Amino acid sequence: MNADQKGRRQLLLLTLDHLRSSAFICGLIFLLCGCTSAVRSGRSTALDSVDLVRMTDDMVQKIVASPEVQAAIAREGKLAVVVQPVENRMVAEVLPRGPAQAFTARVRVLLSRHAPDRFTWVMNRDAFYELRARETDIDLGPPPERVQPRYALTSIFSSLTKEDAKRRSAYYLCEYQLTDLSGGNLLWSGSYEVKKTAVRKFLD
Amino acid sequence: MKRRSPYSLSPVPRGEGGWLRVCLIGFALCATLPSTGCTSKAERAAEQAVQAYFAGDPARAVEQLKPLAQKTDQNFVLNNARLGSAALIQYDLDQAEAGFLRAYEVINSFGVNSGGRSLGAILVDEKIRVWRGEPFERAMLNFYLGLVYYMRHDYANARGAFENALFKLRDYADNADRKNADYKEVESNFALAAIMLGKSWQRLGRDDLARAAFARVTQMRPSLAPLADYDRNLRSNLLLVVDFGYGPRKVADFDGAISGFAPEPHQEGMIPLPQVSIDGRYVDVLGINQPPVDLLALAQDRRWQSIDTIRTMKSVAGTGLISGGAYEATRRRGNDGTALALIAAGVLLKATSQADVRQWEMLPRTVFLLPLEVTPGRHDITVDFPHAPGLRQTWRGLEVPAQGEATYYFRMQRWNNGPFDWPPPAVAQAQAAP
Repeated sequence: MNADQKGRRQLLLLTLDHLRSSAFICGLIFLLCGCTSAVRSGRSTALDSVDLVRMTDDMVQKIVASPEVQAAIAREGKLAVVVQPVENRMVAEVLPRGPAQAFTARVRVLLSRHAPDRFTWVMNRDAFYELRARETDIDLGPPPERVQPRYALTSIFSSLTKEDAKRRSAYYLCEYQLTDLSGGNLLWSGSYEVKKTAVRKFLD
Repeated sequence: MKRRSPYSLSPVPRGEGGWLRVCLIGFALCATLPSTGCTSKAERAAEQAVQAYFAGDPARAVEQLKPLAQKTDQNFVLNNARLGSAALIQYDLDQAEAGFLRAYEVINSFGVNSGGRSLGAILVDEKIRVWRGEPFERAMLNFYLGLVYYMRHDYANARGAFENALFKLRDYADNADRKNADYKEVESNFALAAIMLGKSWQRLGRDDLARAAFARVTQMRPSLAPLADYDRNLRSNLLLVVDFGYGPRKVADFDGAISGFAPEPHQEGMIPLPQVSIDGRYVDVLGINQPPVDLLALAQDRRWQSIDTIRTMKSVAGTGLISGGAYEATRRRGNDGTALALIAAGVLLKATSQADVRQWEMLPRTVFLLPLEVTPGRHDITVDFPHAPGLRQTWRGLEVPAQGEATYYFRMQRWNNGPFDWPPPAVAQAQAAP
């Protein structure tokens, strides 16, 4: 093998080595970069579906177990309750209409399922007509005008939120109340507390 | 004379392989020029939508942006911000809220670019990372989300969004340097959200917090005292929100590695002040027609990020390698293989060190807030700028309530003068729904 042939072979091997390593690097980059979604990787301090489930499960248990609520049912029979969307008092947080309704609607749904003989649910007037306009298959029950609610299930979400160069943290206090509409007396109240922190990362 | 193999790795004596050397040197010179890059089909569609917006056709912009805004790719936030802007002009508040809200959720999340996207942004192309905007863009997105809620009289959510807008510039100041009191300065530049926060508190019945918010605005920017006047805002039953001019453009230097914003405020001159006429008569807006923000000025405080350093280092190293390769090619006993490898490595570094110049193009230079007390009923309202000839917009039949406050959004564009009739199609459709 002369010098030219040796050189040619050497260059070929070198090129192949480079190609192999380049292909590996490119493949690795594509593997790592190509499949992440803009909405999947991030972590925020907002209340999420996990909180929704935990919070509403907890509230339902507390309402059903409340001696005051049980006494009212024993005294009056089924309680006619209207459900209101959550009132947003959170600092620097938005709670759109859908989630605001979901946080109280799930309480209603769970109580309808587990204690159907204790509550009559009167849908919030706006929500009723909105759903009727959509012509959904859900049984909406009687129009709000036909049933006079005696109680209101309301909820207020508050938070203390901080954001700085390193992190954002929020402490939430979510209060639920069952109020007697005739006298304004508080029949029951419960709360859910959670603290969330999201730490900034590279390129945040 | 023995013919030298083109594959030889042995040093090339001067005078041999001249064509190869010329090619290498030429290639090295070309490689130092910034790469033009390539755009995807989705990016071209987004560019067309932006062009439609600037051409005064927001309806087409909305239609083009709708499918793009659903794609959860690196332009997800940007396309949703663009969609929100285009929908807001049309008073399609559902669409605007949806767009801004989707963008808001990602902007408020951390670690969006963790893992592969960060690595890809460093090694391959910065545009691989999910665009989340500069701090002023994040603040403006929160402002517009708050504006949509304010227009809908959802003051609790409006308040939340305006507070978050202030947060977005607060963390910006933290990074700058708190010791230099930048925090106060930057926040005062964004008095826009602070005023709207005060108005939201006022509508929520929290007079104490409203007064505090207005007082803070007056303290930071005394020229805005008439606009942040508690009683004036309490009496107001008509709020005109007027977007004027165009925001800063993100530009890269010749090398393409360092980005900044242009033009600077002094290059564009003073912001002209608006006048308002209602049913043909000018109303007194003296004092309240001051611009609460100048985004051209705000953009100049762009914070230097870690990736800027990495990109700059890559560019410098790339230039060095290319120069080294070119020198090797011209050297008397230079090695072609080494020269080629150096140039190729340099080109690769240069090509992957291009700055990400994606931006929210629809942003205005400023947003005027004009709280007015007007006789309830329907009115023809014109906003014009005497010092910017031809820039005016007229709406006919705007409804002004006796109680509460109606908010109308004017996007000033030269070919968008109107007159437009209220209600626009999106509002009429929403009103017709049961």
